[in-house]
Amino acid sequence: MRARLLFLLPLFSGLTAAATGFDTGPQGARVLGLGGASTAYIGSIAGLSTNPGLLPQWGDSLTRLSFGGFGQIRRASFVGQDTYLRTNQDLTVQPGGYLYATRAVSKRVSVGLALNTPYGYHTKWPNAWEGRSVIQESQLSTFFAQPTVGFKLNDNFSLGVGFVYAYGKYTQRRALGQYDDPAAQANLSSSGSGYGVNAGLYGRTGDNLAFGISYRSGVKLKMNNGAYTTAGVPGRDASLLAGASDFKTQINLPSTLSVGIADRVTKKLLLTFDFALSGWSTLDSLTLDVAASGPVPAQRLRTARRYEDALAFRVGTEYQVNSKLVLLAGLHYDETPVRDEFVNPEFVDANRVGASAGLSYQLSQRLAVEAAYAFDYGQLRTARADQTRFLVSNVSGTYRTLSHTASLGVSAAF
Amino acid sequence: MNYFFPKGLRWAGLAAGTALLLNACAPGQDTPTPVVGLNVSSYLAVGDTYTAGVSNGGLTRTSQEYSYPNLLARQFQSASAGGSFVQPLFDGAEGSNRAVFRGFTPEGFLQTQRVPGTAVRRTVLLANACTTTPDTLRLLKRSATAGTLPQNLGVPGLLLSQVDAVGLGNEASVGIRAFNPYFERLLPASDSRTYFQALSTAAQSATFFSYFLGMDEFMPYVRSGGTCGAVPSSRQMKLTAKRILDVLTANKRPGIIVKLPAITTIPLLRQGKGTDVEARLQAYYKDNAPLYIETPFVPGTSQRITERDYILATALPRLGKPTPVVVGGTTLMLPYGRDSRNPIVNADVLDDTSEIVYITAAINDYNNAVFVNSTTVLGLSGLAKAYGLPIIDPAQNSYLLDAGFLFNNVANSISVGGVVYSAEPVRGNFFSTDFYSLTPRGNGLLANAFISAINRAYRSNIPSLDVNDLPTTTE
Repeated sequence: MRARLLFLLPLFSGLTAAATGFDTGPQGARVLGLGGASTAYIGSIAGLSTNPGLLPQWGDSLTRLSFGGFGQIRRASFVGQDTYLRTNQDLTVQPGGYLYATRAVSKRVSVGLALNTPYGYHTKWPNAWEGRSVIQESQLSTFFAQPTVGFKLNDNFSLGVGFVYAYGKYTQRRALGQYDDPAAQANLSSSGSGYGVNAGLYGRTGDNLAFGISYRSGVKLKMNNGAYTTAGVPGRDASLLAGASDFKTQINLPSTLSVGIADRVTKKLLLTFDFALSGWSTLDSLTLDVAASGPVPAQRLRTARRYEDALAFRVGTEYQVNSKLVLLAGLHYDETPVRDEFVNPEFVDANRVGASAGLSYQLSQRLAVEAAYAFDYGQLRTARADQTRFLVSNVSGTYRTLSHTASLGVSAAF
Repeated sequence: MNYFFPKGLRWAGLAAGTALLLNACAPGQDTPTPVVGLNVSSYLAVGDTYTAGVSNGGLTRTSQEYSYPNLLARQFQSASAGGSFVQPLFDGAEGSNRAVFRGFTPEGFLQTQRVPGTAVRRTVLLANACTTTPDTLRLLKRSATAGTLPQNLGVPGLLLSQVDAVGLGNEASVGIRAFNPYFERLLPASDSRTYFQALSTAAQSATFFSYFLGMDEFMPYVRSGGTCGAVPSSRQMKLTAKRILDVLTANKRPGIIVKLPAITTIPLLRQGKGTDVEARLQAYYKDNAPLYIETPFVPGTSQRITERDYILATALPRLGKPTPVVVGGTTLMLPYGRDSRNPIVNADVLDDTSEIVYITAAINDYNNAVFVNSTTVLGLSGLAKAYGLPIIDPAQNSYLLDAGFLFNNVANSISVGGVVYSAEPVRGNFFSTDFYSLTPRGNGLLANAFISAINRAYRSNIPSLDVNDLPTTTE
């Protein structure tokens, strides 16, 4: 049975890139413990946002609810290529949360709602670090709401479709290092929203083997209310840098195509495998259309990102210790969408290997607590800034990234 | 995200986050160990304006501390290989006359303000051979290092043709012979030693040298718009360079020889690139009037400026301002340079055909002349090869630093750690208000160019400076 699905492997083996970027990882304590391999996993309704096709699998008489919070620490260190100075990123916790609910409305039709925070990062460098004129602090937070409807085709197959509303907030701060005043800074702040769809299919090819395929479209966060402010600009340059101006921008969040299988090896042991392809290549650049302000004319500030599509590979396992306790573990390998030529301190990313562990404990028949922790270790990245390309703001050096994610949640059925 | 979720969830997230704090050390990375592959314990810097650390047209205690040799010596010390580096420092906040930034004119031209030197001890007016206005010579307070000679032998305004001038640093020469007040303050009173003799003495205790001489040789000619004297003879410059380098490289003493940058990368000329200025004035006056210069070799006629003619930056603010011109017996007020009957005079411009090409040829010859046959007078490249110091890359004499590369890049703008450096004085953060000398950051970039050359040539690992940490001005 398992061999039949091996046809999926060559489909992805030709791709050299992956799914990390600034996604915040699996959106639920239990799927986090599983390493995120949840496209064909029905052990937690958090799978709703990964694969809406799972929804009818919870189409019994119960209303299910799962919610929790998580925190993610991504931290990088930097060593300057020529200065040999080492800088550690400041410690920041990117908070996140999730809430899922499902309910059957008929024998064949179920509805569900997913609220979560799938993308985001918070980069904070010390104010006086070597690359302070490139970036001091940058944060993106997103919030996704996905009302979903699922249909059971027959006993073995089901599909689901969800509508995605996304909201995002982006802030950025950097030093204006051309001036002596260490307080001279440029700040960006904006927020906006976008839409997308999510559709998926779930099927069982036997008692022990299940598969899932899902596709979530990309989301374009249109941010039209941006505020670009500067501080500490000497009067002689008032005609070059405005104190405050408006800007518009758009941040493209990637589409994801996920394929997964789940195999019940024994009664107590479940193995899951996932491939996910994220369409990061829609994130080509960060383009700010800054409006005119006073003597400063309107301008377009463009920072190339040139992300490439990225693939992630995940393996998870779930072991039922006893009737109350489930242990979870996972491994994953995520390639980065950030190309070598575009390694930039605003968002440092690398190919990462990670491991995760978690547990679910049944407090009562209706209520379980879930907790999980994941650790990612990133490959060393080298940024080489070409000084003569003076429109490109970057700093030369090497980066090492680690990330820690922990999640705590509750799931209930009643 | 906080407002999207009920408080309970936030607490759950925070609790999870707090648990992580205990576990979240920053990822480790080894920093390279500094290695200095040669003996830099006693560094001798030989040069002129740039080496002395002039900034904003003058030398002060602060500008001396940000001279590139001092920044370089600091990096040697931080790599725990450098000894002390003695400079002829002024006392306290003292310094010579200079011109500091005041603002920009409505047309966007730089305005400066004179600051009198506090280290001036005597002022003498001397006749100038080329103009009717006399030169003001200011003698400066003697350096505390005068007894022994400092390690920074950079002398502002030092000409290669004067290195053998007897009494160049003796007050008795004033008004009689060649005299340099900056050299005078390095020597004891009434000392008639030549620069060459002083350099030979100082070289005896040096373990490493840098040589960056020659730019100042061209500046009197350039500043006069080509109206005072002739283009310096590169043959004489090369012969003098060889004599100095023979002394500096004695006993296989390692060092770095600096090739001169192209003259048009200096903002005194770069800011006045003919067609750029023409376009800038057309944009300001919202018309399309061309700029005219006096036709070289044909007095009384004018021709349109080209992109290879360079107006002196000091003359730029006068362009377009009406000046009286006699046309056919009547006096008309015509915009300076923007009318064919009122062209930019020769003293305000270095034209391509009769001036720029000769200066460029002289600099190229001084920089690049290599061995052809036994009668060849070697330039810096040829000399560098002849001294048989280690060659890492045959295409690039690694112990030869091409300052032109840095200066040329700056002329086209570079970005260093997110900060853009350009040839525009003040705003460009590389050149200072005199359109010639460097800011502390400019000195930092030059010191970094030395470091990368030393690292290449002498298999070293000396850390560079974070130039954005240096001040933008010495004032």
